[in-house]
Amino acid sequence: MTDATLALPSRTPPVRQTSTMVFLASLAVFAVIVTILAQQGVISTSFVKTLGKTLCLCLAAVAMDVVWGYTGILSLGHMAFFGLGGYAIGMWLMYARTEALVAPGLAAQPIPPTPSELQDAIGSQIFGVVGSSDFPLIWMFADSLFLQMAMVVLVPGVLALVFGWLAFRSRVTGVYLSILTQAMTLALALYLFQNDSGLRGNNGLSGLQNIPGFEDAPQSAISLAFFWASAVALALGYLLFAWVVSGKMGSVLRAVRDDEARVRFLGYHVESFKLFAFVLTAVVTGIAGALYYPQAGIINPAEIAPIASIYLAVWVAIGGRGRLYGAAIGAAFVSLLSSWFTGGGAPDIDLGVYTVRWTDWWLVLLGLSFVAVTLFAPKGIGGLVDLLTEKRRPERQGDYGPDKGAKRSEEGVE
Amino acid sequence: MSIRTALLSTALATMAVPALAQDADCPIKVGILHSLSGTMAISETTLKDVMLMLIEQQNEAGGLLGCEIEAVVVDPASDWPLFAEKARELLTVNEVDVIFGSWTSVSRKSVLPVLEELNGLMFYPVQYEGEESSKNVFYTGAAPNQQAIPAVDYFMEELGVEKFALLGTDYVYPRTTNQILEQYLKDQGIPEEDIFVNYTPFGHSDWSTIVSDVIELGSDGSLVGVISTINGDANVGFYKELAAQDVSADDIPVVAFSVGEEELSGLDTSNLVGHLAAWNYFQSADTPENEEFIAAWHEFIGNEDRVTNDPMEAHYIGFNMWVNAVEEAGTTDVDAVREAMWGQEHPNLTGGTAVMNPNHHLSKPVLIGEIQDDGQFDIISETEEVPGDAWTDFLPDSAVLTSDWAELDCGMYNTETETCVQQTSNY
Amino acid sequence: MHRILIAILAVLTLIPVAGRAQDLQTILQLHTEEVENPGRRSVGVVIEDLIAARLPAVPVFLTHWQDREIVLNAEDGQFYALVDEDGDTATIRNLDTGDESEVAGDSLTEVRPNGGVRREIAAALVRFQLSDENPANRRAALDAIARRPDADQIAPLTASIEDEQDAAIRADKDRLLNILTARYGETTEARVEAIERLGGSITSDARAALSQILEAEDRVSAEAPDGNIAQVYTPGDQISRTEAYGRLVDAELAPAPVSGGAIRDALIANIDGGMVLDIPVELLDTDAQRRAAYDRLAQAGRVPPFVTQDRIDAALDSHSFYAVYEEEDAAVTDAARATLRSVETQVSLNQTADLALDAISLASIYFLAAIGLAITFGVMGVINMAHGEFIMMGAYTGYVVQQIVPDYTWSLIIALPLAFVVAGAAGIAMERLIIRHLYHRPLETLLATFGVSIALQQLAKNIFGTQARPLTSPDWLSGQMVINELVSISYIRIAIFVLAGLFLALLLFILKRTRLGLEVRAVTQNPGMAASMGIDPDRINMATFGLGSGIAGIAGVAIGLYAQVTSEMGANYIVQSFMTVVVGGVGNVWGTLAGASLIGVLQKGIESLNPSNTLAAQTYMILFIIIFIQFRPRGIVALKGRAAGA
Repeated sequence: MTDATLALPSRTPPVRQTSTMVFLASLAVFAVIVTILAQQGVISTSFVKTLGKTLCLCLAAVAMDVVWGYTGILSLGHMAFFGLGGYAIGMWLMYARTEALVAPGLAAQPIPPTPSELQDAIGSQIFGVVGSSDFPLIWMFADSLFLQMAMVVLVPGVLALVFGWLAFRSRVTGVYLSILTQAMTLALALYLFQNDSGLRGNNGLSGLQNIPGFEDAPQSAISLAFFWASAVALALGYLLFAWVVSGKMGSVLRAVRDDEARVRFLGYHVESFKLFAFVLTAVVTGIAGALYYPQAGIINPAEIAPIASIYLAVWVAIGGRGRLYGAAIGAAFVSLLSSWFTGGGAPDIDLGVYTVRWTDWWLVLLGLSFVAVTLFAPKGIGGLVDLLTEKRRPERQGDYGPDKGAKRSEEGVE
Repeated sequence: MSIRTALLSTALATMAVPALAQDADCPIKVGILHSLSGTMAISETTLKDVMLMLIEQQNEAGGLLGCEIEAVVVDPASDWPLFAEKARELLTVNEVDVIFGSWTSVSRKSVLPVLEELNGLMFYPVQYEGEESSKNVFYTGAAPNQQAIPAVDYFMEELGVEKFALLGTDYVYPRTTNQILEQYLKDQGIPEEDIFVNYTPFGHSDWSTIVSDVIELGSDGSLVGVISTINGDANVGFYKELAAQDVSADDIPVVAFSVGEEELSGLDTSNLVGHLAAWNYFQSADTPENEEFIAAWHEFIGNEDRVTNDPMEAHYIGFNMWVNAVEEAGTTDVDAVREAMWGQEHPNLTGGTAVMNPNHHLSKPVLIGEIQDDGQFDIISETEEVPGDAWTDFLPDSAVLTSDWAELDCGMYNTETETCVQQTSNY
Repeated sequence: MHRILIAILAVLTLIPVAGRAQDLQTILQLHTEEVENPGRRSVGVVIEDLIAARLPAVPVFLTHWQDREIVLNAEDGQFYALVDEDGDTATIRNLDTGDESEVAGDSLTEVRPNGGVRREIAAALVRFQLSDENPANRRAALDAIARRPDADQIAPLTASIEDEQDAAIRADKDRLLNILTARYGETTEARVEAIERLGGSITSDARAALSQILEAEDRVSAEAPDGNIAQVYTPGDQISRTEAYGRLVDAELAPAPVSGGAIRDALIANIDGGMVLDIPVELLDTDAQRRAAYDRLAQAGRVPPFVTQDRIDAALDSHSFYAVYEEEDAAVTDAARATLRSVETQVSLNQTADLALDAISLASIYFLAAIGLAITFGVMGVINMAHGEFIMMGAYTGYVVQQIVPDYTWSLIIALPLAFVVAGAAGIAMERLIIRHLYHRPLETLLATFGVSIALQQLAKNIFGTQARPLTSPDWLSGQMVINELVSISYIRIAIFVLAGLFLALLLFILKRTRLGLEVRAVTQNPGMAASMGIDPDRINMATFGLGSGIAGIAGVAIGLYAQVTSEMGANYIVQSFMTVVVGGVGNVWGTLAGASLIGVLQKGIESLNPSNTLAAQTYMILFIIIFIQFRPRGIVALKGRAAGA
């Protein structure tokens, strides 16, 4: 499949690509149907939230696909950016909500509070649960929605820029890079786990579903609003990435994936292209996180543990790398299936001597099916689309011959 | 019992209306929100089972308000955001009248906003760090003054411990508890340099340096005691390292707040004999109620080796109090039941009577037990009933706060300014 | 053993003391409640009475009491020593008469003094035990003295030294006497001499004695310093001016500075009709406004004025800040200070050595965990995410073996090779079934093996449960090797170190001296060329994978011996192992050793800088590694030449 997408001669505007149009249209239809069903009361608020969260995960998966499926960088740290986006918006949500709670009490005092008194009161509310009361420096901008929204973009972007610049500059590639990204997200998770990190340690930021200024709005309305925001973000993100991977830029990215050294010899500055893809996807993943966590209600460091990023890669692989809709389908399919199985939805299988309870065996199934997909269906679910459209290209690669090892370099292990 | 899923419920559920429970619609539904998979499953599955047992017993005894009680079990899978999601599902889709659930503090904090938004009612059965009193939660586990403070008193009074090592896993319960204890110890005249605090990650295994540090603390001949809020698996390595460094319970006594019968049942206890634990309940408590409870538990679970522990007693007290409160109120309506809950009394399994205070915490006796080689505890100290304190007296910010839902209708009342800081909780 | 002890004690104290008609039981009955449920603070009365009675049975009773062998017989309400318990009946002994009798077990209540009470009893027993025939008892007495040195102990200790036969115990007695003399000696000369003899001794009780002599108290006074001065503080130099002023305030020698809260309270107290003086309350919402308003109040004389900087300076100038030794004798404190200083260097050297031992042991654990990975990664270029699960598999193998073979030594001997076989077989199976098909797609290998990893982890949970399982080390591995009081290492860690060394040697031997090793190296360096020379890469890959996974299994047993066996234990080591391999350099045993040493030393080093936060140490270590890889992307020991491109 490596050269399957290489030969796109010139840019087709993304809106005119069939797959993009089909995807966006289905997304729109889906969003409208969900809205109608929710208004009718057929689906519950908590399921609307689940669907909204799934859309955010799809957006993260699409970004992951660009950086892995198209550029060949298997980042095992993208959920760190997702989490950072969530933390950035979560800080404002907590601050503003607590301010709204505390301010009336202080205003009722005999004399009006000074700004520092107000801040102290908010601080002791937010950090009281973790045994502190002072605002750490990183909460400097927490009172401003605008600045924190900027942080949603800036923090993952800057982290990706610094990390990527260091890593790509010293030509860390292939599995080394994967391990390094994993180390990055582990370090970040461990750091945030500390109470002293200033982001409430293991407790994380909670109560994020209460949106300041909309205290009186019912959660059913808020959940729909976030669902729509997620859908729009997914649509925009999809368009953006479709545009990025369709033109000359896309060709170079795919070429980097297929043979980095050759692209370098052709005169391209490979590092810049990789860095661009890495930072752009990190920013989009951050935005997805910022939309996800107000729906989830709580963010804590476990969310950015290395396992989360690996799951992201799993979704993309199952959905089908190298095609954007594949990643989105994979994320939606696996995460919904996962919650169905772990939620006890799947009926237990009674084998007589042993009852297979899916809450226990789902992970075994997932792990093994993942192995199967990698071995037998490297195109993932997206490959089914090829079968349907009968667009399968002739097999050009064949067997590698007796010396299988010699082809190792092809995926970027120099 | 029906376990509904997110997917299935879409087809079945009706519009999410905030569940202001109506007068006893039969059957009365009890939601059970304990993780049945993931890291917390080992502890929480037992609590689900004990709830099913209690509900079965109540149904055999004629149900409640003439209704059958139906248990609605969901699995939040040790995933904190999922706790909020499942709680919302329980309250809006299943329309349960009460929830028994949660174990970790972070899962409770995840559920809190949903409970307060939808005016649900939850019983939380685990010892925790305090500093909270929600209108919608009854805390049947121990607050720090019902577990940590008496244990430290025992260390100072009875064992003559002069220096303290506060070792904990790095999360909110050990952090807050240790902060309270540190202040308490300083108030008791222990100088700051005689208190060693250390936090380790979950599942930590390399304890050699930390244990050496603790031993070094006692190098001037004073007796060192370890107050352990180490959670879960990490305890194994910790006690093994103590044994490896030839430290016995006589040299350096350890009192643990998170090691109970359930945790010991999977361990080789030879390294732990003589060390202490502080709880409100031990299986070894010698009372007829306890004997009956253990027998019923063994019969229900079909295994004579299964142990009972403190959070199980908490659910036992909590559920029975709730049943009595519902009968008193004549309805399952959350506000009526809450009012009926204040002042509810129920016998403890360890003797004496537990009382639900208006701050939504119980009055319970504090027990200190010594670990024996059969994995049980020898109860060596038992106090009178201690009323749970939502806001600790040993931190300056909290000392001025009090909680009283009956008189003041406030969970966070500042006694200095005489104002209610806020009605909702800070989560 | 206790019987012997009791017999000896009985003989020793056989001579009855005239004028005491009481027997032991009578005294005990006077204090029934206190004997049955003794408290640390209240038990003293009982012990005093017992000792004053000078009965031969007293030390016997005290020893039994301390060992928790006293029972209360409900039938006659008397206390007995429990000799033997067999099912429902128990043999008890009357301590006054020595008669033994059998009673029903359920009529007995065990008397269980807690640790604090037992320490009190031990202290009381010292006088009986210092000249005891049993060396263990003499040691126990010395321990009790060391734990709680007291001026009263000098006389009995001195008396017991002369008759001491055991050289080691005699040396200990001399040492203890010296410490006691240093602290409580009668003359300055004797104390100074004793203190000087403590030089070079890094034992904790010696250092404790010195630091107790040097205990000092901070003082503030308007006069010149007075007493045995330890240190004089100059504000702004040894202590900050703020802190110095704080001490003045604490000593009530100066007014406290007006805090923000005090300003607020004063303003609230002076609100009159929505105004403070003539300032509307609404305006008081900044600190500057409030200070101004407070100043106005102060000028009106209604509140105490601000403490100005001039006043603070004046107060600081007119007072002296210093620390005074509690010990009044300057000669003694001078000697103690000099001795302590000389000891301190030695202590810190020893502490570093101890830390180094810890670091080495951690490094050998990392080495064991990572070496299998290094082989497969280096030879085949594949990332095996399931490596951690092979470690876990080995540990569970050890657990299962221990369930079947109860003898810990034998089970360990069986478990080690078995773990190798089990994990190795699993590794070969995985290689044959999965990895073989993915050699040309290393990134996908990573993901496929990750799939195996989560499946295996969940499988282990389903089989063994989520709770940690015990893997107990045999007795000869428990305990620790004590080099001196500060440097010690547990035997289990030594064993792991030896194991790591063995595998290092074994691997080096296989790789450098055997046909297999030659072929492995050939495939590592150039698989194409190796294949054309008649080496079957398939066979080599399989063998390497089996070897690497097998070693992981053995590492699992080793880790399980000192830490917990859980289904997640592999996941805890996998990232660390990868980093060890990557930092060390791929495809080289020495590289892995270097990587493991670097990470082990680094982690312990960072930990020692901030002992209260282990998590931070891990975070900073990973950060360091990320940065390290920027500069040496191929690790410490990088392959050179063509092989590097493979």
